[in-house]
Amino acid sequence: MADPASVGSGSLSASGTRSGSGKTTTSPAENYYLARRRTLQVVVSSLLTECGFESAEKAAVESLTEMIQSYISEVGRSAKSYCEHTARSTPTLSDVVVTLIEMGFNVDTLPTYAKRSQRMVITAPPVTNSPVVPKALAAGQKRVHPPYIPSHLPDFPDPHTYIKTPTFREPVSDYQVLREKAASQRRDVERALTRFMAKTGETQSLFKDDITAFPLIAARPSSIPYLNALLPSELELQTLEETDSSEQDDQTDNENAPSNTVTDEAGADKENSVLPPGGVVPAVKPSEETVIDNPYLRPVKKPKVRRKK
Amino acid sequence: MNRKKDKGFESPRPYKLTHQVVCINNINFQRKSVIGYVELTIFPTVVNLNRIKLSSKQCRIYRVRVNDLEAPFIYNDPTLEVCHHESKQRNLNYFSSAYTAAVGAVDPDAGNGELCIKVPSELWKQGDEMKVLKVYIEFSLDQPKGGLHFVVPDIEGNMAERGAHVFSFGYQNSTRFWFPCVDSYSELCTWKLEFTVDASMVAVSCGDLVETVYTHDMRKKTFHYVLPIPTAAPNISLAVGPFEILVDPYMHEVTHFCLPQLLPLLKHTMSYLHEIFEFYEEILTCRYPYSCFKTVFVDEAYVQVSSYASMSIFSTNLLHSAMIIDQTPVTRRCLAQALSQQFFGCFISRMSWSDEWVLKGISGYIYGLYLKKTFGVNEYRHWIKEELDKIVEYELKTGGVLLHPAFCGGKEKDNPTPHLHFSIKHPHTLSWEYYKMFQCKAHLVMRLIENRISMEFMLQVFNKLLSLASTASSQKYQSHMWSQMLLSTSGFLKSISNVSGKDIGPLIKQWVDQSGVVKFFGSFAFNRKRNVLELEIRQDYTSSGTQKYVGPIKVTVQELDGSFNHTLQIEENSLKHDIPCHSKSRRNKKKKIPLMNGEEVDMDLSAMDADSPLLWIRIDPDMSILRKVEFEQADFMWQYQLRYERDVVAQEEAISALEKFPTPASRLALTDILEQEQCFYKVRMQACFCLAKIANSMMSTWTGPPAMKSLFTRMFCCKSCPNIVKTNNFINFQSYFLQKTMPVAMALLRDMQNLCPKEVLNFILDLIKYNDNRKNKFSDNYYRAELIDALTNSLTPAINISNEVRTVDNLNSDVRLILEEITRFLNMEKLLPSYRNTITVSCLRAIRMLQKNGHIPSDPSLFKSYAQYGHFVDVRVAALEAVVDYTRVDRSSEELQWLLDMVQNDPSHYVRHKILSMLGKNPPFTKASESSLCNEALVDQLWKLMNSGTSHDWRLRCDAVNFYYTLFGLTRPSCLPLPELGLVLNLKEKKAVLNPTIKPEAGGIGGVGALDLCANGGIHTPISGFPSSLEEEHLPMEPPPNGVAPAPHGLKRKAETPLGSPPEPVQFTAQEEEDIDMDTVHDSQAFIYHHLNMLERPSTPGKEPPLVEQTLLSMPATPLPAFIKEPSASKHGEHHHRHHHHDHKKKKKKHKHKHKHKHKHESKDKDKDKDRERERDRDRDAHAFTSSPASGRSLRSPSLSD
Repeated sequence: MADPASVGSGSLSASGTRSGSGKTTTSPAENYYLARRRTLQVVVSSLLTECGFESAEKAAVESLTEMIQSYISEVGRSAKSYCEHTARSTPTLSDVVVTLIEMGFNVDTLPTYAKRSQRMVITAPPVTNSPVVPKALAAGQKRVHPPYIPSHLPDFPDPHTYIKTPTFREPVSDYQVLREKAASQRRDVERALTRFMAKTGETQSLFKDDITAFPLIAARPSSIPYLNALLPSELELQTLEETDSSEQDDQTDNENAPSNTVTDEAGADKENSVLPPGGVVPAVKPSEETVIDNPYLRPVKKPKVRRKK
Repeated sequence: MNRKKDKGFESPRPYKLTHQVVCINNINFQRKSVIGYVELTIFPTVVNLNRIKLSSKQCRIYRVRVNDLEAPFIYNDPTLEVCHHESKQRNLNYFSSAYTAAVGAVDPDAGNGELCIKVPSELWKQGDEMKVLKVYIEFSLDQPKGGLHFVVPDIEGNMAERGAHVFSFGYQNSTRFWFPCVDSYSELCTWKLEFTVDASMVAVSCGDLVETVYTHDMRKKTFHYVLPIPTAAPNISLAVGPFEILVDPYMHEVTHFCLPQLLPLLKHTMSYLHEIFEFYEEILTCRYPYSCFKTVFVDEAYVQVSSYASMSIFSTNLLHSAMIIDQTPVTRRCLAQALSQQFFGCFISRMSWSDEWVLKGISGYIYGLYLKKTFGVNEYRHWIKEELDKIVEYELKTGGVLLHPAFCGGKEKDNPTPHLHFSIKHPHTLSWEYYKMFQCKAHLVMRLIENRISMEFMLQVFNKLLSLASTASSQKYQSHMWSQMLLSTSGFLKSISNVSGKDIGPLIKQWVDQSGVVKFFGSFAFNRKRNVLELEIRQDYTSSGTQKYVGPIKVTVQELDGSFNHTLQIEENSLKHDIPCHSKSRRNKKKKIPLMNGEEVDMDLSAMDADSPLLWIRIDPDMSILRKVEFEQADFMWQYQLRYERDVVAQEEAISALEKFPTPASRLALTDILEQEQCFYKVRMQACFCLAKIANSMMSTWTGPPAMKSLFTRMFCCKSCPNIVKTNNFINFQSYFLQKTMPVAMALLRDMQNLCPKEVLNFILDLIKYNDNRKNKFSDNYYRAELIDALTNSLTPAINISNEVRTVDNLNSDVRLILEEITRFLNMEKLLPSYRNTITVSCLRAIRMLQKNGHIPSDPSLFKSYAQYGHFVDVRVAALEAVVDYTRVDRSSEELQWLLDMVQNDPSHYVRHKILSMLGKNPPFTKASESSLCNEALVDQLWKLMNSGTSHDWRLRCDAVNFYYTLFGLTRPSCLPLPELGLVLNLKEKKAVLNPTIKPEAGGIGGVGALDLCANGGIHTPISGFPSSLEEEHLPMEPPPNGVAPAPHGLKRKAETPLGSPPEPVQFTAQEEEDIDMDTVHDSQAFIYHHLNMLERPSTPGKEPPLVEQTLLSMPATPLPAFIKEPSASKHGEHHHRHHHHDHKKKKKKHKHKHKHKHKHESKDKDKDKDRERERDRDRDAHAFTSSPASGRSLRSPSLSD
């Protein structure tokens, strides 16, 4: 029984677990719970005194406290259920009564018990600030109920939760403005992009006094300059794709071709990639039946094997 | 006169080539080297064939065998260094004649060659039987500077992944640069070609690919080609690379090759070729002569199109996708050109250089027919006019292009073109521009012949030539048949007269045998009383480049009652011609006016002269004379001509005439043409520029918006918002071209302050701003590029107080806007490059213009960075053009030096050529002007460049000569110190005296004669026949020429005596005296001097020959491997020279001694052998050479002792 308090408080609540062991309890919520519990202990103690006990073990008191707390909690919880069951939010006396009955308590005995003589008056628990529940963010003016809604019904929620706000303006359909916008947008994007590129990379300048004035992205030689200059850019390819997709397919087909290795027969030579699939015949005999008979498409012959080696 | 020998072809060689094998075993891309052998099968045509001359340049020859017997050979190329090293003479006349002589000395057309092989005596003793000789030559090429071009991109991966490729190139007959051959268009033979290349590569060459076989290690494969049609060596080519292969979908025997990744472009570009094939086969009624055709697209091409037997090599930059408009016609024209040359040029070859015009003419002519069929009559006539204008302008400027030079006896003095600074005797001495104009004139003359004999006959002639040739080609070797495949001027003319029965002699005499064009001045008066048109046609035939024309001329007169043709006779003294008019003036106003083409139109006749029925007059409307016409008629007549004449040529003439009449009526006529949709688009484009000029002249009275603005708005801008251009849709090409051109022309408008009107500038800026290509099927890169050009055109000189520095702050606000746009465009191009980088090109031009007009500081560094190797070639050329311009404007010697360095070192031959030709067109200074740039060092540098630095590229050498001519003229450059006059004068006298002495000696024992000569006049002419020439090179060292008697020759040279350079007259003498064996003269000279010029030696860059040779001054031009491999530090060359003069002294005696002893080769002294032993040790391959008699004799040095 080294530390019964901690055991008892363990079942109380999650927050209680922490408070039980530590001396310094800082959180106001914990203080609140502790205060309540202390009051309950006082109640238990006074009831015991009333019943004629002169002293009690601390552990016993704790157990009893726990029991009473559980009981009261259960009463509250059930009462709330009953009240909500009848579509109300605040429990009434009858809810509590029904609850008590349900829990097997003889309610009729209660008034007599309350009026007994040897009753001890217990001081109210010290007033502690109940934990501050952060207020829900209220946006805008809450609407008041219109006359046909009874006032007891809950208030309207915040307007933002149900009011529709239009998020776009009427689309501009004027051709001139559209073109104007498209043009300036593109120009802005281009300018921003090129400025960015110029800022992040090497630049050349037209002026000696102010090298930042008209920055030019530095010219960089490439190893195969004709590729960039001749092949359509990706942007252009997109439009090309729209018009003619078949050509694109061909392109990808043939791009793979040169990567074939030539050491074995399967990849005998890349020219075969143009051949219809049936056309590739093992390199020994050239196929005459192929649709296109072009010497560059014929497979490469193997050298004649010489006996010497 | 070639035309006189009608008998057929007479070979200048004592043998006939029948078959040649070319086998290239190894191509190393890393080292850029090639190893192989050739085997020529020849039939001697003389009894004792003891030496064989072949063409070969820069090849390193390892061994020569004739019928399996080692044969000695001499390799000697006088064109390596044209004028010898010490020569202080720097005048171009001297160079030109020396160069012509050098080229002539090795000219295969004259039976000469660089490589002279001595047939082993065993063989020529039994020569009576005329046995077949097989000449086997092993050779290699190391980093060739000409002939073969390696493109090896510097990136990761193996050669195939890097897109490395190699291809042959050259100007005219240049095959000798990459294998030994008879490099003449007139020596035909059949071919067997074998190329072993990496398995990832494809070797494309002439003829049929018989088979492809792997080598034993399976890492390489050998391509076997056979060309059964007799073909001249210059028409043989090769391209090796990791090409993508496309079999033409329409013609399976046609195969196309392009570099990796470009296949889609190739597919599109080639989708059209079969139509060209069909066209030519149809008009020529002759099948394509070869059994297959191959097109290869390569990078860094020498020229855009080059045709070889059954294959053509194109620049890869001709490839384009379906989105590109502007490149399409250009590329198709190139394809058509290549194909026309397949028939005439490759299949039918020329007999001699003076017959070149026939082949160029015919191929150009049928190409023109193709243009007419494909692009329409308008385009064709426009093209003819353009070509005619070009040739007229060129001839008037430079003084005449001669198509068929007749070299009677080859005397230099009878130079048919004294106005030129180069000789037209050989193709390799021509300036490139001249050659282009030559081709242009050739096809124009063919057209004149067509006019004379009708197209039908013309095509019959071609057909006849082709059928004769095909019959001949299918024959087995029969010397007389094969010559049918050679075309000569006389043969061609004979065919014409046979087929048509017409005599075109006068026409040929006028345009082919004579140079020059005709210049007419016309004016007229209308005689109302007689109702006669009095036409006066005068000629200018005295100024340079003109000739007198006598004969018929057609004049077309458009009258009120119709159009009438008159043929007038131009005679000696008649200037005036009376032409009766058909109509009375102004009878019936309402009547429609019939035009030439039968059309009848309503005209507003209010503008015309009430007394005259003449609407307009045209002289020679069909361009049937090569002429320039300056005709005077009233402005309203030009306007009528522009509006109502349906011939595009007439319209274009009217437009250029109207420039001189800035009136509202002209403006109206031009505007009407611009709006007329039926009008040919090129006429409309021209009208734009004319309108801009007129508007500028009418500035003060101009009303309304700037010219063309409202027109452009109406045609291309949105209806609802006229300041915004429609989104691009280029589906109608005519309006596309107009849309491109109009802003460019508008930007030329100027206001009273001579500035581009603000309105116009804003208009162009708006076009750029609102340009939207998203919905367009075509790329707008050319359009955008032209908008930048428009911005460039709008620039005017900055108003600047004194020479203050251009800074950002004092930038004009308009210029700031322009600069913004240019900057943005140029930067965007880095992220999204346009086709052929057209936008970068335009931007660079714009920036240069901004610099030139003083808006931004003039600075070449930007252009220099864009000019670096590794940018797209168009960009490089544009950047270089800017640097060239900067060099001229700022007189910067630094930039000039930079450019000249690039000429020497740039990997791309085209760029080198382009730099020199741009420098020639926009020279930093000229012979007429003084400049600080003009100094002795520059003269020397350029001299060296053309003398020896460009020996590997004929075209480049001629470019260098041109540039030199532009800068310094024909005579001594003014910046040089005065020459020693005495010596120059001596020259001619000497020659007169000396020549008779020389002649008798020329054949054999040259030693004595030369000795005498030297003693006589300080002339060291090394005359020699073949065997003795081995020693001749020592002769010049012997007699000290200028009286400094016993001083050794070598010392004298180094000492640079103020007396100038006595050896020079020798060359002069030698060249002028035709009877001297030219080649040997040059041989020896080259031997003597070339060693001082080691850096220019093509086959062994960076290596110096061993000291021994320097001492002896007798190194053959093409190195024997044993010598080359001798390690020697090249940097010490100068030092060694000095060092060895002493040796000279010692050895001299010895040499002299030897000469007197009849030059026995067999008496090689032991020292020499020892020497060679040493070399053998160093060179593991050497045994083959050292032990062979070939090496012994070809060393050519009687003594190697040191």
